[in-house]
Amino acid sequence: MAPPWLDVLDETIGACATHRRPDLEARLREKRAQQVDPKLRVLVIGESKQGKSQLVNALINAPVCAVGDDITTTVPTFVQHSETPSAALVRNASSRRSIMNAPTERVAVPIEQVTKQVSAIHSGELVRAEIGIPRALLTSGLVLIDTPGIGDTRSANTASTFATVLQADAVLMVSDATGELTSAELALLKKVMAACPNVTVVITKTDLCPQWRTVVERNRSHLARAGIPAKLLPVSATLRLRAAKTGDQVLNTESGFPDLLACLQRDIVASADLLARRAVSVVASSVISQLVTPLREELTTHDSSHTAATISTLQEAQRRVDELRRRSARWQNVLNDEMADLVSDVEYDLRDRTRKILREVDKTFDEADPAQGWEQFEQWLEDNLNDAATTNFAWLMERAEWVAEKVARNFPVYREDILPGSILPDDVLDPVGKLDKPKIEPFTITQKVFTGLRGSYGGVLMFGLVTSLAGMPLINVISLGAGALFGGKTIKDESDARLKRRQAAAKAAAQRHVDDFFIKFSKDCRDAGRYIQRSLRNHFASLAEEMQETLLESARSAKRAVQDDASQRDQRQREARRELDKLVTLYKRVQALGGGAAMELSA
Amino acid sequence: MKIDHVTWSILQEALAVYRDSPRAFGWLRSHVERFTEPVRVAVAGQPGIGKSTLANALIGESFAPAPTFSWYRNGSAAHAQVFSGGRFAEAPVVRRGGRMAVDAGSWDTVDRVVVDWPSRSLRDFVLIDTPASAAPEQIFADADAVVYLMRHLKDDDLQFLRSAHDHPIARVAAVNTIGVLARADEIGGGRIDALSSAKQIARRYRRDVQVQPLCQNVVACAGLIAVAARTMREDEFQALRALAALGREELEDHLLSADRFVGTAFPLDLDPAVRQGLLERFGLFGVRLCCALVRQGFDTTVKLTGQLVQRSGLGELRDSIAIHLVERREVLKARSALLALDVVLRMEPRPGARKLMADLERAVASAHDFRELRLVAALQGGRTKLPPELETEAMRLVGAEGTTSLARLGFDYDATPAEQRSVLLDALARWQAQATDPHLGGDHRRAAQIVVRSCEGLLTGLI
Repeated sequence: MAPPWLDVLDETIGACATHRRPDLEARLREKRAQQVDPKLRVLVIGESKQGKSQLVNALINAPVCAVGDDITTTVPTFVQHSETPSAALVRNASSRRSIMNAPTERVAVPIEQVTKQVSAIHSGELVRAEIGIPRALLTSGLVLIDTPGIGDTRSANTASTFATVLQADAVLMVSDATGELTSAELALLKKVMAACPNVTVVITKTDLCPQWRTVVERNRSHLARAGIPAKLLPVSATLRLRAAKTGDQVLNTESGFPDLLACLQRDIVASADLLARRAVSVVASSVISQLVTPLREELTTHDSSHTAATISTLQEAQRRVDELRRRSARWQNVLNDEMADLVSDVEYDLRDRTRKILREVDKTFDEADPAQGWEQFEQWLEDNLNDAATTNFAWLMERAEWVAEKVARNFPVYREDILPGSILPDDVLDPVGKLDKPKIEPFTITQKVFTGLRGSYGGVLMFGLVTSLAGMPLINVISLGAGALFGGKTIKDESDARLKRRQAAAKAAAQRHVDDFFIKFSKDCRDAGRYIQRSLRNHFASLAEEMQETLLESARSAKRAVQDDASQRDQRQREARRELDKLVTLYKRVQALGGGAAMELSA
Repeated sequence: MKIDHVTWSILQEALAVYRDSPRAFGWLRSHVERFTEPVRVAVAGQPGIGKSTLANALIGESFAPAPTFSWYRNGSAAHAQVFSGGRFAEAPVVRRGGRMAVDAGSWDTVDRVVVDWPSRSLRDFVLIDTPASAAPEQIFADADAVVYLMRHLKDDDLQFLRSAHDHPIARVAAVNTIGVLARADEIGGGRIDALSSAKQIARRYRRDVQVQPLCQNVVACAGLIAVAARTMREDEFQALRALAALGREELEDHLLSADRFVGTAFPLDLDPAVRQGLLERFGLFGVRLCCALVRQGFDTTVKLTGQLVQRSGLGELRDSIAIHLVERREVLKARSALLALDVVLRMEPRPGARKLMADLERAVASAHDFRELRLVAALQGGRTKLPPELETEAMRLVGAEGTTSLARLGFDYDATPAEQRSVLLDALARWQAQATDPHLGGDHRRAAQIVVRSCEGLLTGLI
């Protein structure tokens, strides 16, 4: 069933065609395409072993996500609608982990085997799994995303989960009823709330815990105390899956899933409808007011039938067109300057962050021996780089929004839809390759002996010769002692030198890795910046064009009014009035769609 | 000389040096006393993980959890002392609603409660149940060893365990922690095979490179079931038997969820309060498991509890505590005392203590027991590699399976000293060859040297 906003939108498109405004029509069509196929991303997150995958399985009544007693989910799984059940694994195409944007390949697999395959493939290669399944719940464009547990030491990095949160429309935070929400979980909730306010806390495994009601109550007060306005729903996936098997409706109700589904439908799908309606209402009313302006101009000129006034209107229209042209140069300059500043600032910030990390690394390896504790170091470096990347990227996004606002301020006129809806590029933050372990050459006993002998040789010879002057044999106690001393010193020097070499190798490896990371990520950032600039430019340019067209049209009609003779004038006036009435009714419907109080249509 | 003798003599010397400083003297005296006590084992973990439940399971009696440190030690009669600030008072131990509780009286802030409780399980160690708010430093200062409870290993857990090894001496002797995969009955959503699955996960953690250096061992344990099994009452057993008498299909629907189990439509004439009680004591999984076990023929209280204790993992945990903590009492006590000595020497340095400092360093550096334990950890962690058959033998000889000479030599019967001697000499010769074989890697030879040293120690014990 087509939602009501679609009819209104289509009618507005029709009106654009009648009024010969292909530019506006194209813009509306674009909006229509965007709204008709909305993907609603619902992210299922939570700490490990809380029942996230089982929750997704129970929601759609199919075992598509791998569940197990140990840590199971290592990559995100996207579950969306399709006519026939299908599954695919997306993995890095090249087995060699390249640093630059690695191309990914999609491998279709039978849906029955997808859970097995996901666990079989080494998690480093696999990027995500995609499941298509025919379910009524998903037809509205809902995409359920099952994620690896947060805070677990074994899953892929948590930062990528956060990157996904930025793009999610809604979040289901999963925590099981065997314990109350921990402080870590509450902190996570707060962080998620900042990126995506539509969060529902799902308490799972209520079948297992006799005291789940107390836990739910306590969690409610925890949420209230932390100031998190999230809803809380207790469910049991076990009961739901069993109800699906036996067709037991009572059991299904007991599982709590009907409430959860209703909540998904009501709050997420329905609110998506509300969002769509608002977006359509804003864009359609701006288009209609542009259509109305020339008509109004025409009617006023007819009403007054005053040639002098008409001519002054014409002049005014032309003056405004000129003004628009002149000022459009200004916002373009602002946009270019600001974006250039932004990219260089962001790059500097990233450089600064990575240099701080490198300095830390240098300091560490001035002291430490890389042969020990390399794994911890690797983990530490990875965490720090991830951290730097996330902060840096969040900053980029913030600045970009600010630039958009600034450009809008410099734009000649203000309109409701002057700020673009979204300027976020998709799919940023790919992982960089693994840190190469530097070659650590051990100092073996044989080598030590050899080095020692080499050193002692000089000592024996040197002192032997000196003491032979005193009449002793070449090999005597003094020369042997000196030999041992020299040998020991050489071994010590050599092992020091080796430690130095190892440290240098480790530093170089870290430096290389950080450089790789910097190059890759700064490229990403620059790309994102350029993407943002381009989309902002297109957005504002098309706005400017529309306005110019509107002004020109009113100028033209004013000119026509001056030229037309009386009878034609009457005819045209009647037509214009009819058209205007039509547009006004349409405008009222559009306003009703938005749910706001109907604003007066102004010229 | 054994590490405990060395430590003991340093302690005595330190007492003499610090005779005139009341604070240091008091501190050292308390550690001298502690040195002869049984090992103190603390139960630690994140809040709500089931520390008190596990402590109860180890004691074999259900104590009401207290918001403070609770010490349980073996005593001839049930009796408790409440400590607050510098003062303490006697307090009665009373039974309240099926659980034992200490009547703390009118004290508002209690530092710790010490309970004397007649129990065979407490013969070899003192158990310390820690409150949720306890700082890791305090836990590690009070206890000689720690049983750390975790569910799935999270960063918080690793942090806690690592904080135990911040001190240089502690790092040398990282030998005092056993990890427990707690609430094993909740793994896998309470499926009937949850416990065996939990044991597999524990096995994986045992081999995990991050856990290895921090824990001597990782075992799975379902505390709720263990404590219920050890304190099962006859009426509970009768109720369980009545449940099991129902058909499996009949019961299945009612065991689906906790709510259903205590619901009104129940096919058996069993008071809802009784069912509620069963659920609280055993958990849903416990009820399922008990019914299955009774059906399988464990139909007397003794058989059922025996089976439950074994399945819950409590047996394995007790064995682990015995092998890794109780049998290493001397080492753990010496470790605690050395740490305490280090504190004194650092806080109150004085000229007379310089020799003590050197002695302490020498003791830490040369203690063979620490080396043995570190070798065990290195072999388990795969940091040191030996061929499989040698590895098993090395582990046994350095005491990973028990520190008595019989256990080290792999006898499962009471062998005569002569028998032991011949086996030992044989092993010694083989390992000496390993230790001096220049074809082998450095790690390998170093490991062999430690084994040789252990064998030599055994030999002196046998003569």
